[in-house]
Amino acid sequence: MVRFKHRYLLCELMSDDPRCRLSLDDRVLGGLVRDTIARVHGTFGAAACSIGFAVRYLNAYTGIVLLRCRKEFYQLVWSALPFITYLENKGHRYPCFFNTLYVGGTIRTCQKFLIQYNRRQLLILLQNCTDEGEREAIQKSVTRSCLLEEESGEEELSDGGEEAAEAME
Amino acid sequence: MMPAPAATYERIVYKNPSEHHYMKVCLEFQDRGVGLNAAQFKQLLISALKDLFGEVDAALPLDVLTYEEKTLSAILRICSSGLVKLWSSLTLLGSYKGKKCAFRVIQVSPFLLALSGNSRELVLN
Repeated sequence: MVRFKHRYLLCELMSDDPRCRLSLDDRVLGGLVRDTIARVHGTFGAAACSIGFAVRYLNAYTGIVLLRCRKEFYQLVWSALPFITYLENKGHRYPCFFNTLYVGGTIRTCQKFLIQYNRRQLLILLQNCTDEGEREAIQKSVTRSCLLEEESGEEELSDGGEEAAEAME
Repeated sequence: MMPAPAATYERIVYKNPSEHHYMKVCLEFQDRGVGLNAAQFKQLLISALKDLFGEVDAALPLDVLTYEEKTLSAILRICSSGLVKLWSSLTLLGSYKGKKCAFRVIQVSPFLLALSGNSRELVLN
């Protein structure tokens, strides 16, 4: 079958400043990525990557971003991500960087990976927890996500992973 | 009848032994009387690469081996993977400091010795 194949890049925005993640906006981010590709890969790169480019998913609480690009040019997009060093919002510059977690061919595979990744992050957070109230909240989220796994088996509910991720912040 | 002894042979294939390509180019301006020195010439080449292919490919190992200011012709050396990128960015270069110009590619070869003789300019007597 002939169709356009895409690659979905799952990235996490890492920053020292906690306000940086909250100021994430999909249009601003899309523009920033396009400008960076134009700078790093020139007119050719900008044109090649912007055909199928879109910001598919954005979570301001956890800083998870899902970018879509065409399969033939995903390496141009991927190699331009480390050149993004700051996020600009209302005149404030926040230094940050993008950590690519996973590259998948469909949104479903990225979602499966994200659920597993969030579960692992919850356990790491539990270890590093200092406050008792936070510890209880995280333990509740962990048990809830494990229960969901037993109930539904193959069909993972993404809500479990994402609500737990929200509780992290 | 003795069976023929097995013949042993070894086949060596060189796909592309040379990792550099050499280009003889000439820069033509629409107006006369425009001069560039060697540094400005190299800056022009790098800015052409940067426009089309960005900062990553502007950093390709490109060398200007010889440059003649009177005829504005030069011999360039580039690694083989960057040949297509350099050639296409030279093709699409339109102007230098507002003046229209064009690059003429006279000869391209993976061997520098081949650039010493051009069969197109051969005169048979």
